[in-house]
Amino acid sequence: MARESFDKEIQFLRMLALAGGAYSRQQFADRLGISVHTYDKTLRNLKGMVSILQQGLPAEQGTELSEWLRYNYYESADPLLLFLFRAKSLKETESIRLSLLLTALQTKELTAKDLQDVCSEQMPTDGPLPDEKTIRGDLKYLEEVGVILRVNGGRPYRYRAANDLIDQLSDDELMDLYDYVDVIANTQIPSVQGYLLRDTLKKVLRKRGFHPEAVETHRYKYNYHSRILDEAHLYTIFGAIQQRKMLHFLYLSPKKGKNYASQNTNPLFERETKGAIETVLPIRVVYDHQYGRWYLIGHHSRMGIMKFRMEGLTQIEEADAVEEDEFAKKLSKVEEQLKTSWVTDTTRIIKVVARFYSPNRSGANFILERVEAQGQWGVITENSDSTFLYEIMVNGIYEIKPWLRSFGSSCEILEPAWLRKQFIAEWKEIQTYYESI
Amino acid sequence: MNPFEKIFNFQIISRLDEMGSLALTSQERSWLKTMLVHPASTEAFTPTTLSKLNILLDAESSTEVQEIIIEKAKGQERQVYHPMLRTLRRIIMQDHGILLSYHIKHGGIKNNQSGFPHKLEYNMFKREWYLQWYNTRHHSLMSTKLKNIVSVEETLVPLDRVEALKVMLERLLEERKDYTWIQVVPTFNVELSRILYAFSCFEKSVSFDEDSGIYRIKVNYMRDESEFLLSKIRFLGLRVKIIEGEHLKRRMRESASMALARYADL
Repeated sequence: MARESFDKEIQFLRMLALAGGAYSRQQFADRLGISVHTYDKTLRNLKGMVSILQQGLPAEQGTELSEWLRYNYYESADPLLLFLFRAKSLKETESIRLSLLLTALQTKELTAKDLQDVCSEQMPTDGPLPDEKTIRGDLKYLEEVGVILRVNGGRPYRYRAANDLIDQLSDDELMDLYDYVDVIANTQIPSVQGYLLRDTLKKVLRKRGFHPEAVETHRYKYNYHSRILDEAHLYTIFGAIQQRKMLHFLYLSPKKGKNYASQNTNPLFERETKGAIETVLPIRVVYDHQYGRWYLIGHHSRMGIMKFRMEGLTQIEEADAVEEDEFAKKLSKVEEQLKTSWVTDTTRIIKVVARFYSPNRSGANFILERVEAQGQWGVITENSDSTFLYEIMVNGIYEIKPWLRSFGSSCEILEPAWLRKQFIAEWKEIQTYYESI
Repeated sequence: MNPFEKIFNFQIISRLDEMGSLALTSQERSWLKTMLVHPASTEAFTPTTLSKLNILLDAESSTEVQEIIIEKAKGQERQVYHPMLRTLRRIIMQDHGILLSYHIKHGGIKNNQSGFPHKLEYNMFKREWYLQWYNTRHHSLMSTKLKNIVSVEETLVPLDRVEALKVMLERLLEERKDYTWIQVVPTFNVELSRILYAFSCFEKSVSFDEDSGIYRIKVNYMRDESEFLLSKIRFLGLRVKIIEGEHLKRRMRESASMALARYADL
């Protein structure tokens, strides 16, 4: 499977999820840097996949993809973008064969020879039947990904499905497990494998006779669904970091408006590549809870520490490894600098002081609660009934500023003086936005 | 670990479904093993189940990917799991009613309120669990923090009543829905990605007018959550402007003048 195709699908889905409904076919294609023909083809493939995956789901979930993506931020905890990870292309015969093998091994321990017989009996007759070598290759793959295991004993080896985790749990325990996986996949990162497991457990519960609504008791409000698309790159980066390897990629800055550039191997993608080829030593990734976005933090031989939005990374490839020493040095530098970043800013440290005003009403002081919960390493002092001071040493003000501003009139900037001036100017301008009402 | 394994392919998954078979990969088990280390696991399982799971997953390798992740601007995790989730989810699943006692905002306890539970809702920003329920005596939709619940008792609700209550709940939730139109101020179109990400935790749709180059975002929200939406709009500052939604506009104007008044004092 060409990596190319996933880059395209990720960008495609991200744009659908973020800007759903905004663009015409032509505009959408232009922004992705693909032809309308490719746009149509990609959409058709994705729709095809959705309709197959949707079987057994209520029909009202819609047929239009953008509608489907928009569907139910409140009404379902199903991560709609998970299907990206189900998009790997596969030959029809292979998917039939693998499913038959797995099915045969659900309840029985069988040898490769037994399984070859199963295939001869059950594979569609219009194609060639798999030979023993093919079956052994399949078994090796299934064992590698852990869905089957080899049973103790000599040759010929016997295999069975690796379903103990599920089979050995009672209905009640399975329910608890489903809930735990549901909660953790939704609230913690990384979550893709958790969502895949959640899908599996959901099916088991139905199989054991639970009502479909039994798996719909939890809701997650204000979840950043598109975050799971970026997890596509997470393991590639993780692998490179573990081996201290450089990464080589084409970076498309999300700020520049074009979100996808093709490798011009495919005549459908004859567009100019706009973006920068980068080679960096990956050090860490940062997840920003304010926007649900991921960043790669790397070290560049000339530029020093660099930050890339994960969504802009395409055509990632591993390059040469560096010495352990060198990696350790860069890592400690990155960790030191990120210690005082609100998100990823590594510019000069500034002291910011703000006065917060507690709500006049009696009862819970939700301003104080919010500052305590979200103020990261900032310190609260001079706490009285009506106000408190918040002080933080932070790299630059650019990243903390939106958070401070989100408190509206409950937050007054004291230091630095220029930031105070900026806030006054901004509030004046915001006031003009709503003057005429 | 590769989340794009062919075993996850949609055709295989749908075939396995038809055949009633399962494919449980070591990736999924590794993820679970890693996540069971989270302290929330002790609240999610009985000690027996938890130790059973740990034994079943013993041979699995755990995922070390978390070592490379730095989480920023994360709200303090007050609560991931709440011990009451187990009880409440079973009551909801069985369509049973509740008799609830809970602390109220300004002190004191409301005792033995009878009702019908709807959903358990986790607020990702407050990092806290809520129970959505219908108060049958006051005929109102309630949202109560699990941490404020003192006790819950299960009650039986006649079957025909269950359906009526569900319809009622849907209607009440529907009535709470509202929407607003927010415009991206064109000078900030270069920051469109940031803006769309900020609103991506809401149900929304976007419209784009090519001639004027103006983006508009229609955000659907629950009326009782308008303050949260406002904090997001203030978060983005000059980048966005509410163009439809009188209440929200008025609140923004108030915010701006009250903020300016703070600065004028000194």
